[in-house]
Amino acid sequence: MKINPVIEKELKTTMRGWRAPLLILFYLGFLLLVMYLYFLANDQLSTFGYQQFNPRVAINAFNTLALFQLFLLLFITPILTGGAISGERERQTLDLLLCTSFPTYKVILGKIFVSIAHILLLITASLPIMGIVFMFGGVDIPNLILLFVFYVITALMLGSLGIFYSTIFKKTIVAIVMTYLTIGFLTIGTYIIMALYFFFFHRFDASPNFYQLTGFLFANPFFGFGTVIENTATNNSIFGALVSLAKGDFSANVPVKSWMINLGFDVLFSALLISISAWKLKPVK
Amino acid sequence: MLKIDNLVKVYGRFRAVDNLSLEIGKGEIYGFVGANGAGKTTTMKIIAGLLKPTSGSVVVAGVDILKYPVSFKNKIGYMPDFFGVYDDLKVTEYLDFYSGVYGIEKSQRPKLIDELLELVNLTDKKDFYVDDLSRGMKQRLCLARSLIHNPELLILDEPASGLDPKARVEMKEVLKELRDLGKTIIISSHILPELAELCTSIGIIEKGKMIVSGTVEEIMKKTAQKKIIRMKVLGEMESAVKLLKEQPSIGNIDVHNDYLEADFNGTNEAMAEILKAAIKNDIPVVSFAEVDVNLESAFMHLIGGTENEN
Repeated sequence: MKINPVIEKELKTTMRGWRAPLLILFYLGFLLLVMYLYFLANDQLSTFGYQQFNPRVAINAFNTLALFQLFLLLFITPILTGGAISGERERQTLDLLLCTSFPTYKVILGKIFVSIAHILLLITASLPIMGIVFMFGGVDIPNLILLFVFYVITALMLGSLGIFYSTIFKKTIVAIVMTYLTIGFLTIGTYIIMALYFFFFHRFDASPNFYQLTGFLFANPFFGFGTVIENTATNNSIFGALVSLAKGDFSANVPVKSWMINLGFDVLFSALLISISAWKLKPVK
Repeated sequence: MLKIDNLVKVYGRFRAVDNLSLEIGKGEIYGFVGANGAGKTTTMKIIAGLLKPTSGSVVVAGVDILKYPVSFKNKIGYMPDFFGVYDDLKVTEYLDFYSGVYGIEKSQRPKLIDELLELVNLTDKKDFYVDDLSRGMKQRLCLARSLIHNPELLILDEPASGLDPKARVEMKEVLKELRDLGKTIIISSHILPELAELCTSIGIIEKGKMIVSGTVEEIMKKTAQKKIIRMKVLGEMESAVKLLKEQPSIGNIDVHNDYLEADFNGTNEAMAEILKAAIKNDIPVVSFAEVDVNLESAFMHLIGGTENEN
């Protein structure tokens, strides 16, 4: 089997040098700090006297880490992908690739694969930290696998978005800013639009049901995330609020899980963005 | 090997390439000469499949590149005037990457890379990072890259630009080796004497138009039909220009900073008469001689001529 040379080269150069280990170090350090502060804030780290351990705290620690990882994904992916094509253009290496018969879609797929691989490395490296909660129970392996799949597909969508802007815009910084703006729209903008809709048309007299939520939030990663953590979230917490915003009601029975809708959108949107990027990259169309 | 017919590339109102036609046979080394902005790079980018022409056709090794914009790329090797290299790769890794891009089997690559590095005299640098190479070495590495898939046509845009004299000589030696290997090459350069030494044919382009095209000898002959005289004068040159304009054997006159160049169509006696007239008119002539027509002066003359016509 022939390996895409772009993947081979990018993996080699990305992992060479000090940047990749440093990124992993900071990423894991940050997660550990979050974990430590969380347990500290919940008074679970005291070494003095009798103290009853509350397993709920450990489960919420898992949720907190899961949410933090999603935030980090939203912040790191644009940086990893924003310069994928525009960086080649800035380094004046793009023409050397485009004057070959190598298909542009393979260039795009190679770049996306490498950025996802990089993110997967970060997520995989964080699994031992996430695994701390297994000592206390309450989180099972399927929860963790679902979360992992959710991250990978969300990273695919975010990576495709970054590559798309990197193909459209000549400068990396513009591509990164545009990716952040779009992510801002998908994550915060869709909530604002939904809130405005319910304010102007319903005066907030009723909570949105699942179908209305889906209509406004299908593209929002937090909408999908809501049902990924529904088994570990409790009603009276920020995680409970996320679950409610994914189902309409915390304990509602919905026909389809929000993560299925959100990940379905992510896959289709990624395919569209990759196709447009590959077409746009062709020097002679 | 390469046939270009009425090629046009327009950017807004600017015609970068204007009805350019040329034909290059197999094994030819074609020198593409022109001032900056003449349209050389645009033409070469079109041939390399990196730009779409506004109109016209380009056929490489029998393949119409507009009809088959991807498949023909295996037939060409392109080296741009400005290019980047992946600094964080080693020399062999760099060539290995492009071997992969061209679909060359892994098992064939080490031997191929060794041969190419030997051709461009970089064998002793094979384990160096590309970042540690000099500009000249990077240029030669890029040349090796463009040869990796054994293309039928090599497109080299200013391969010696920005190189010091030693690196230029080294690059010239590599190009001579390629010529001896029977490669078909289209090469643009400002260093005209080097082109004259290397090329079998030359095309001179100005403002997107091909002014003249043919073998080096043909171009020399065309420009040599008109002799050029150069006259260096002290101080202002108005009276000298006036005098020359009065002479029936003088044609087009180019005024430079401290000398004049004029097309001359006459005998040595007529030339002597002009000098005599200049001295008689108290024009302070410092030097007066016929210019040796080499490729460079032919180019300058042709370019000067078109500038004056416009």
